[in-house]
Amino acid sequence: MFDQLLKRLLQGEFICEVSDEAGFRYLQDPENAAQVDEFLTRLDYRLSSTQNRLAFFAAYRTIDGSARSDIRKVFYQFRIELQPVVEWLDMMMSCLNQDTALSPGDTLSFSGLLQVIEQNQALADRLQTFAKFKDFTSGDDSVKGRLEKLLTTLQKWNYLSLANRDTLIYQVTGKLDYFYQALQFIQEHEQIPVEQGETDTIQGSLF
Amino acid sequence: MSQSQQGLERLLRALAGHSELIAEAYFTGVVYKDNQNQRALNQLKQLKVLVNHNADGYRIAGHLTQFLDSALSSDRVRRLDTDLADWIDTLKLQISLYQDAEVENRLGDCDNYFAETERLVFDLSDTLEENTRYLSMLVNSRFANVRTLAEKQKQNTFYISRLEKLVNAITALQPESLLEMVEDQPLIYDLLDHQLIRKLPIYQQRLQDILDKLKVFLFELRQIEARAQLVQGFAFFLQQNQNYQPQDWSERDSIPEHWNQIKPLALFAYADPLDHALEEDLIEIAQKIRIDTEAMLAKQKQRSLNAVSLSPQNKTTLDLPLYRKQLRVYFDRVLKNEGQSISAVAFQQAFVDDIEPSIWLSCVLNEWLRRQQRNKRLRMELIQADVGRHFSGNKKVRDIVLQFRSADN
Repeated sequence: MFDQLLKRLLQGEFICEVSDEAGFRYLQDPENAAQVDEFLTRLDYRLSSTQNRLAFFAAYRTIDGSARSDIRKVFYQFRIELQPVVEWLDMMMSCLNQDTALSPGDTLSFSGLLQVIEQNQALADRLQTFAKFKDFTSGDDSVKGRLEKLLTTLQKWNYLSLANRDTLIYQVTGKLDYFYQALQFIQEHEQIPVEQGETDTIQGSLF
Repeated sequence: MSQSQQGLERLLRALAGHSELIAEAYFTGVVYKDNQNQRALNQLKQLKVLVNHNADGYRIAGHLTQFLDSALSSDRVRRLDTDLADWIDTLKLQISLYQDAEVENRLGDCDNYFAETERLVFDLSDTLEENTRYLSMLVNSRFANVRTLAEKQKQNTFYISRLEKLVNAITALQPESLLEMVEDQPLIYDLLDHQLIRKLPIYQQRLQDILDKLKVFLFELRQIEARAQLVQGFAFFLQQNQNYQPQDWSERDSIPEHWNQIKPLALFAYADPLDHALEEDLIEIAQKIRIDTEAMLAKQKQRSLNAVSLSPQNKTTLDLPLYRKQLRVYFDRVLKNEGQSISAVAFQQAFVDDIEPSIWLSCVLNEWLRRQQRNKRLRMELIQADVGRHFSGNKKVRDIVLQFRSADN
């Protein structure tokens, strides 16, 4: 377990209950976590976790010039992911008809989503808008093709894990906890207004 | 057969004989009197199986309902006895009655009071066991299976209220005072100790687990609410500000913790020859490589390659050869003068100085062959020279005359 886990951490992976249940349970034990951290320390790394401890990952212990350069790449990747992931989370709330945002461990059924989107033109149009993001451009113009592209890209970015290959059931990974943390940080420090003004509420109630 | 045994048999026979009526009362909540069932209903009422619902209707007695719910593992929301505190008071009363009977040496009463106390203790123990287990099951399995935030909030409130009732019930038990009360009655002491007091830590632990879980849920509930607002607000903001990019937080002196992630370790497909630790391994591998021919080891001659550079190269314009420029002028003249025959030699003598006539004619012929594929109106006539020797197989051309025929022809 120890060696497999370390290899995954050194490959920059997030270890969560969905991506590696046994590894995640292993790291939840403070004694095991201390052993892993001790090993990482030799490489000047350390074991870190997301705010709600829903995923573990390796971080730099000392942030020198080289580490800073690597962190910059992580941040630039986050910049790329920001808009499509927020759009996806918001769209899923509409698709699943729920007033709660996705959380790690939640499941998404490809066929279920496809059925909902095919029956709702507004959602189909919304899915189409993902084509403006470079990583979501699909050669297949059908709703099915676009949805496939959306989910596979999110899987490639490790926000989703394919839980069942036959029924195409996806599961949200612990990496989303990191995304929420980063999103909240930006909102707080850049004073992004997240409460839609009163005018929107009034307009909404008119229809 | 004793009287009580007879009573039990009569009760069980009545339950079996009127099972349809009892089932109807259980499932519909009430059963009404008519000409056919009046006698049966009276009998069941006397046996305390049914109680009056209203003037014409009967319902099942509370205890039997509870038994049926429990026996059928009904999904009905079970009633947690809010009067558990009263129940404990009754238990204390029964114990004191037992003590009085014992002091007064009323052995028959002692047995009855003990049996009643025993039943109360078992009931109390069963209720606590069932309720803590049931609540634990609900909290573990059903909490997350609701879709909306409002439902989650309602559930949370419901579970907390049930938990409070259970905590109150267990608090009301006051095990030390109960045991102190029956110190002189070893039978009751053992009964209370084994069936109730020793089980309390289990129930308390179960309640603590439920409480911990509810605390987590409550925390998550707050987070879920905040997250939904964050996502929706951010999505709205991004729709309004399509070109928004977050500030470059990676350039700050203090980088936020969540972006401190390592770069995945790179794997090299070759060994580092400067790493002395690998020296022996590399020698071993090198010795295994077969040398087939000396040619393989011969140093290959370096081939010259065109230099590839990213810097833009200087462009040079190549001039057309003079004869091509003169050919073009000649052909342009032919094309402009439609229907007029123009001699190549005459043109050459007039405008072309430095080309031999034979070479000029050859160039004209070649150009005509190239152009006539595209332009069929361009006709050529070969002017042959006198042939000195017959049947040589050659034609000697002294001039070529070109004509651009009009479209009518």
